[in-house]
Amino acid sequence: MIEFLSKQLDWVDVNYWFYLINDLSLLYIIIPFFVLELIRYAWQKRLNKNLVFDSIANIITFGAFLIIEIILGVLAVTKLYYWLYNNASLPHLELNWVTIISCIILADFAYYWEHRMMHRIGIGWATHTVHHSSPHFNMSVAYRFGPLDAIMPILFSLPLVMLGYDPILVLLSEVFVQVFQTLLHTEIIGKLTRPVEFIFNTPSHHRVHHGSNRQYWDKNYAGILIIWDRMLGTFEPEVETVKYGISEPLNSTNPIKVFFHGITRLFKKIAGIEGFKNKLLVLIKPPDWMPKN
Amino acid sequence: MKNSTLLFRSISVVILLAGSAHLASYASQSSNHTSGTDLEKNTISQFPEEKKQAIENEDRNNETSNASTNYYNEETDYIIGNWRVTYNSKEFRGAIVYTIKKEGNVFNAYTYQYEDESGNSERAKSTKTLVIKSFDGYKGKGIYTIEYKKQIYDIECAIDMVDENTFKLSYDYYGYSDVETWKRQ
Repeated sequence: MIEFLSKQLDWVDVNYWFYLINDLSLLYIIIPFFVLELIRYAWQKRLNKNLVFDSIANIITFGAFLIIEIILGVLAVTKLYYWLYNNASLPHLELNWVTIISCIILADFAYYWEHRMMHRIGIGWATHTVHHSSPHFNMSVAYRFGPLDAIMPILFSLPLVMLGYDPILVLLSEVFVQVFQTLLHTEIIGKLTRPVEFIFNTPSHHRVHHGSNRQYWDKNYAGILIIWDRMLGTFEPEVETVKYGISEPLNSTNPIKVFFHGITRLFKKIAGIEGFKNKLLVLIKPPDWMPKN
Repeated sequence: MKNSTLLFRSISVVILLAGSAHLASYASQSSNHTSGTDLEKNTISQFPEEKKQAIENEDRNNETSNASTNYYNEETDYIIGNWRVTYNSKEFRGAIVYTIKKEGNVFNAYTYQYEDESGNSERAKSTKTLVIKSFDGYKGKGIYTIEYKKQIYDIECAIDMVDENTFKLSYDYYGYSDVETWKRQ
């Protein structure tokens, strides 16, 4: 077993496996599942204009996010990753199953902290609120991104590169976590078996995360493993029926408004606060923070 | 939950996971090194007797001087990393990026990326191409694997550092000689 796990693997094979899971899953799981969700909405007489336009806005925000991600990647991020990998990392890890599995779990752990930060600091919430602002919950919501969503994860994936993981493997692992997360955005699947619900993040746990019910705020940040939330004190089970959305609803399906509303609200808040120090603190303090005076 | 608890639990997770990966990688490299030595011995057996003797003596010297030197050696280990070599022959025009890794007491170079004349690049199958058996930070000797007319040859080569970002790799195999310039990427 140990021999199998530590046997050196070929990059061509590893890339191919990730291609099958990360890239092609859109065709063989996500799109078919979304069609199934639309049929279910129609069957329940919930398929209306708002839901359709909301889904279209989600896809458009994903396009904008992708453009920012590509520009960032080409300009600086890959160079920064490789510079750190070659100059400031622990000995480079061989490509074997232990490396791949530990990299995915660490990418998932990094995702937990990145996600928690997005909820708990002003600038993070200004971009991540976009993802939470939909009043619906389906696979298209997974593609609803804010303008800075491509930047925040960098802070948390760089330490992985410095631990000796190949930057490409880190990137592929992060995408794998995102693909897993995408599959959780559904109302079709109820609660799964106890062991699964105990270890893994499931649609039920993620519905809680998207809830605007007060007890569901800032809970269940996990990507793949819900044990991170259990271990770090942010777990909440799904009990009360979830009301999706944010505490100050957006009430718009205009993709531009959707994409920029968090940043706009942040700027308005900063403009209304006195004192340069307080204006800076708005960026790093929790989203509901206000100066005492 | 207290911040100190969060920090302690998080660091524990990172150490456990990254530590397992490093242990597995280290164990695998050690076993590769053993099989690599066997391979090198097979290669040596194809050489004339005096060369075989010279390399074996060199091995013995290296084993003595480099015993238990898996830690970072500032004088020599700066050679670790990615190196780009441009080729302009009939068989291949473009560049190959190699990754040099320290494995046990030797440095091994693996193919990492191919680039054609237009700058298009493709990830290469990681193939061990160069074994640097001795290296003092300025000069080194090793075995270089080259392909010529679909035949693979393991030949002796010499390494001369020009500066910390460039070195010359030269070989002469029964009149077939060349000097390659390796530039740090």
